[in-house]
Amino acid sequence: MSNKKLLLKTTNSFLIYAVVILLIAAPVFYYTCQWLYIYETDEVLLFHKGAFVNESHSNYKAADIAAWNKYNHNVTIVPDMGVTKDSIVGEMIFEAIANEKEPFRILYAPVEINGKKYTYIEKRNLVEMEGMVISVAFMFLFIIIILLTGIIWISKKSAAQIWKPFYNTLSQIEEFEIDKNNSPEFIATDIDEFDRLNKSLERLIEKNTVIYKSQREFVENAAHELQTPLALFQTKIDTLQQLDLTREQSELVGSLNKDVSRLNRLNKNLLLLSKIDNESYLDRDTIVLNDYIDKHLDFFMEQAQSKSIKINTHFINIITTKGNTALTEVLLNNLFLNAIRHNIKNGVIDIIIENNSLKFVNTGQETPLGAQSIFNRFSKVNPSSQGNGLGLAIIKKICEINDWDIRYSFTENLHIFEVIF
Amino acid sequence: MKILIIEDEREIAQSIKDYFKTNGIQCETAENYNLALTKIDSYDYDCILLDLMLPDGDGFDILKELKAKNKTEGVIIISAKENLETRLEGFNLGADDYLTKPFHLAELLVRMQALIRRKNFKGSNSVVFNEIAVDIFSKTVAVNDIKLDLTKKELDLLLFLIGNENKVLSKSAIAEHLSGDMADMLDNHDFIYAHIKNLKKKLTQAGSGDYIKTVYGLGYKWENEQ
Repeated sequence: MSNKKLLLKTTNSFLIYAVVILLIAAPVFYYTCQWLYIYETDEVLLFHKGAFVNESHSNYKAADIAAWNKYNHNVTIVPDMGVTKDSIVGEMIFEAIANEKEPFRILYAPVEINGKKYTYIEKRNLVEMEGMVISVAFMFLFIIIILLTGIIWISKKSAAQIWKPFYNTLSQIEEFEIDKNNSPEFIATDIDEFDRLNKSLERLIEKNTVIYKSQREFVENAAHELQTPLALFQTKIDTLQQLDLTREQSELVGSLNKDVSRLNRLNKNLLLLSKIDNESYLDRDTIVLNDYIDKHLDFFMEQAQSKSIKINTHFINIITTKGNTALTEVLLNNLFLNAIRHNIKNGVIDIIIENNSLKFVNTGQETPLGAQSIFNRFSKVNPSSQGNGLGLAIIKKICEINDWDIRYSFTENLHIFEVIF
Repeated sequence: MKILIIEDEREIAQSIKDYFKTNGIQCETAENYNLALTKIDSYDYDCILLDLMLPDGDGFDILKELKAKNKTEGVIIISAKENLETRLEGFNLGADDYLTKPFHLAELLVRMQALIRRKNFKGSNSVVFNEIAVDIFSKTVAVNDIKLDLTKKELDLLLFLIGNENKVLSKSAIAEHLSGDMADMLDNHDFIYAHIKNLKKKLTQAGSGDYIKTVYGLGYKWENEQ
């Protein structure tokens, strides 16, 4: 269903009503006018005949009648045609002056002149009526149009005025994002419904913001509070491994060590995510991506060595962008480690910089990852992998706050993560 | 060598104490702000390990106090707080190093040794172990006075191992030490194997003793040959 604007909708129904009324009113008006005119004409005809009878014409001689007929164009007295009572008919008669047939009303009435029966015939041209009806119709139309445009214009104006607070509220709500600190401020209105709307929206937003904040704080606090027990855990394992341990015990402590550092990483990443949420990284600097990648390439090549992964870089141009340095580093590190972690033995990683896009193309499992969920927190593709399921969520978050675009695609058995700066 | 551990978690302080004891470091502990101030007033220490969140005060105030009293102890902040502002404020107030909890005791030990070396610097800054001599400033290593060509990572590893003499070092402790800021993201610590192997080879080829021992299931240990 296509959506229409509220104001358009109200004026539309207005317009439809007006058009319907016009369509009905026009013929009704026309026929009423015509009927009225004919009625008046008939009255006049009968009146003329009455006058003729009442006046002194009753003593006309035959010669008088001939003279009458000679000088009267519209009224003729003819010998009795057998008309017994007044009758009026409408007829089209050829009019020599106009050289065409024109509508007429003709009265046939029985009269007695000098005791002899005659028929009185009077005709009246209706052409005047047609002209009048048309000009009245034009006037009528003209007034209607002025009236309509006026009504539409005024209603539009006043509707726009009335709905203004509504549109204001609407645009503020559209811009509202719960994770940003921009609570909407609605303008005061004297319309009760809008006032109620604004107030309930305010309440809703306030409540949700509080819930959202406390949840965000909870994650940060929880991660923070975990640091101390983790520290205890770590130092005790460090102490434990100094003891004279049997092979079996050594293996256990060794794996405990792995667990605690995994736990530690997970916690650090959670802390990082909640810090990004809390806008702890607002400073922005100019960053040259190529330089950063070059600088740390050795480190990542070292990391890739145990899987004998080859890393190639193809820098077509230089990308300089604005962003938080620390976060951008985290982003690139995560992309690097992601490409290494999910790679296969003797795999390849291509890092391509072209225009404003940075691509990490790597070999890996031969099926594409579920593109929708991979950027969600704790969505792990491979449950046995060492990753904690936060790497891609962090990548996405960093892209989000910097207005960069992150995309995943899978072509020719290669996994491609692309960031558009 | 005597150090003061200002830390309200008694067990962490105890672990540090136990770990450092075998390296001839005498540790005193203070679990709150007031006790810490009393101890700082009464004794001189080579180094102070400072937790920022204390039950009765702020670690930063201890730094201010030290400054006001013209105390020259080196201070390493050990804190669960991990953000740039806290770090910068710590350094501004005179701290020498900052270590975020949780940390490896081995890491804390080498950082402290490095700090004390810097503080007691008298013309030369070197670490000597039998026939091996490391010059910290020029970043050079010599075995029996013959210079050795080590990479930066290998040198770093060597100092870490020597500093933790006779201690079993887990792979994760070594990996985290070598990868610095990146440590939080690494999930695979196998890369240190190559570094250990190379360092071992270079040292023995230069005629040094084979001090790096592999500890089954755990990691490595720098041990003087018997």
